[in-house]
Amino acid sequence: MSSFIGRYAKIKRDHFRYNLAKAKRMRVCYLFLAPYAVLFFAFFILPILSSIYYSFTYYNILEPPRFIGFQNYINLILQDQVFLTAVKNTFLIAVITGPVGYILSFLFAWFINELPRWIRTIAVVVFYAPSIASNAFFIFSIIFRGDAYGYLNSFLLQFGIINAPLLWLSDPKYIMTVIIIVILWMSMGTGFLSFVAGLQSVDRSMYEAGYVDGVRNRWQELYYITLPSMKPMLLFGAVMSITQAFNVCDVPRALAGYPSTDYAARTIVTHLFDYGFSRFEMGYASAIATVLFLVMILCNKVIQSALRKVGT
Amino acid sequence: MSKKQVRHIAQPKSKSRAEQLKFLAELHGEVQQKPQKTLNVKRFLIISAVVVAVSLAVVFFSGYRLNAIDAYNLQVVETGQGTINTSSPIYTLLRIVALIELGIYVVYAVIRLLAPKRRKPNRSIWGDIGIYLLLAIVAVAMIFPLVFSVCSALKPLDELFRFPPRVFPQHVTLDNFSDLVVTMGQSWVPFLRYLTNTVFITVAGTFGHVIIASMAAFVLAKYDFPGGRTFFSLVVTALMFSGYVTGIPNYVIMSRLHMIDTYWAIILPAFAAPVGLFLMKQFMEGLPTSLIEAAHLDGAGEFRIFWNIVMPNVKPAWLTIIIFSVQNLWNTNAATVIYSEEKKTLVYALQQIQAGGIARTGQAAAVTVIVMLVPITIFILSQSRILETMASSGLKD
Repeated sequence: MSSFIGRYAKIKRDHFRYNLAKAKRMRVCYLFLAPYAVLFFAFFILPILSSIYYSFTYYNILEPPRFIGFQNYINLILQDQVFLTAVKNTFLIAVITGPVGYILSFLFAWFINELPRWIRTIAVVVFYAPSIASNAFFIFSIIFRGDAYGYLNSFLLQFGIINAPLLWLSDPKYIMTVIIIVILWMSMGTGFLSFVAGLQSVDRSMYEAGYVDGVRNRWQELYYITLPSMKPMLLFGAVMSITQAFNVCDVPRALAGYPSTDYAARTIVTHLFDYGFSRFEMGYASAIATVLFLVMILCNKVIQSALRKVGT
Repeated sequence: MSKKQVRHIAQPKSKSRAEQLKFLAELHGEVQQKPQKTLNVKRFLIISAVVVAVSLAVVFFSGYRLNAIDAYNLQVVETGQGTINTSSPIYTLLRIVALIELGIYVVYAVIRLLAPKRRKPNRSIWGDIGIYLLLAIVAVAMIFPLVFSVCSALKPLDELFRFPPRVFPQHVTLDNFSDLVVTMGQSWVPFLRYLTNTVFITVAGTFGHVIIASMAAFVLAKYDFPGGRTFFSLVVTALMFSGYVTGIPNYVIMSRLHMIDTYWAIILPAFAAPVGLFLMKQFMEGLPTSLIEAAHLDGAGEFRIFWNIVMPNVKPAWLTIIIFSVQNLWNTNAATVIYSEEKKTLVYALQQIQAGGIARTGQAAAVTVIVMLVPITIFILSQSRILETMASSGLKD
């Protein structure tokens, strides 16, 4: 037994020595990596670790952090009614806009791919523009304005569908619907671009082989040829749409107000902002952030493993 | 022997053209091919013209014209034929049906007359029509808010508040833009200052990001060194964490580094944006390794290889990470880390105007147009390069 452990230790040690020697030989690589790595650790890894640490403390920036165990998490789940609203809203948004936005991005990228070249160029710009047009979603606050001058209201009034203008952005009944529509409008982002590019680079001879082997319609072609060869882009697109679906913050703040009526448009991120930058309860805000990290990583793992099975 | 004589011998004499073809097919043991269905363009044009005319008639002459009071109170309009309740769902339905019909014919015409002659064998024409129609409808829905914001920015005040509102302005004016200049001119910090701040942040952040991320991407893509893969998988995980989630601890770190209220608080995290490194690395993996080995044999150092060989070859990827970085930095409002008014960004100033309520609607629309113009223009100009890079963006197992 001891010889086994000894051998194992030796293998590990040799492995380590080998890696060390290799690292020494390739130290110029680390030199190249260093500037990025330092910044990356300082502004992406360290924040995540420190937010886990602060989530166990009471910290308001002025006083040094005081360790309070799981108190933040207990308060979050048992006492904070608004947080539960925020979780409900965030999940509603994520469950609807995540998958729907993802599938729509793929479908439209696929449809666009068959267009003639010059129309394709225009179509890509048209579909991608909303997601890069910074705060263009502000315009929805005019479209959905609560009085009769608002475009949607006046349109519905003209057609006699409603009798009096509806308060789209302050009535809790409608806020979430409006926000989901706006987020869906913006959902053709980086993932969409990746799909368009990926579809262009699928090997043409595969399709020709498909015709010969009896692929009868476009859907069979999609399932048996296109999707399997697009798998890397699908995985990348999934990461991007998870990011988008969970980090909803600007749209509800700009459209529904901050805070919104009855907290009807409160999401986890706006809740985090409220505690972090309005009340400076950094410990509590970190607990919220940590919960969000965990949910996102979990979600990512589930989706990645599901996507690996596509078309195989 | 002339060509004519050969044909004469090969084909039996006393048969019609169809019989000849059949005979030949039997001779070669082939199934006779269906004759290609050719499009009767004339008939098609007549049919579509009629349909278009009927649809237009239904849409525009079924009591479409309403005015405000009628819509509000009576929902009834006097027309020549007596009283028609124009708000009845049947008319709405009729209009929608007519529009869809119109759409189908237009798409069919476009496909038949403009599309390439050689169609893919396994595509049905009706499927194509459905898809193109759907694409057209969704494209209009996608572009409408953007067009609408441009239109609102060009409307004079009285048209912004009219009922029923119109999408397109009747008297185009630049008043909103000049009002914007006046409003911004009255503020404590001049407009130009906000613009300079944003431009500085965007340019500095993007420049540093391209250099630093390319250096890291180069070694991650082309050398296998201990820790490289682990580092890259960390970056891939970090793709998910946008600025909001790390905002709180970032603030604490910045305050420890005494960088709160300086540009560095925005620029330094932008240097390390994971998306840029990720795309750059995936693109660089496509470069032939032999190129680098050849340079090694010629005695070039790593830095020289990076600067003189790799960088010129990944220009499409530069453009891509430049647009992602510009888009990110141009849109930062940075309100959480910058407190002095004279260091605030353009987007922050503009959000204040947008928050100005109904009285500022026109100016807010003008602001929206100004801010969205920059990223969209850059994207349009560099679209083909960006798509080239994105083709290698996949996450491999």
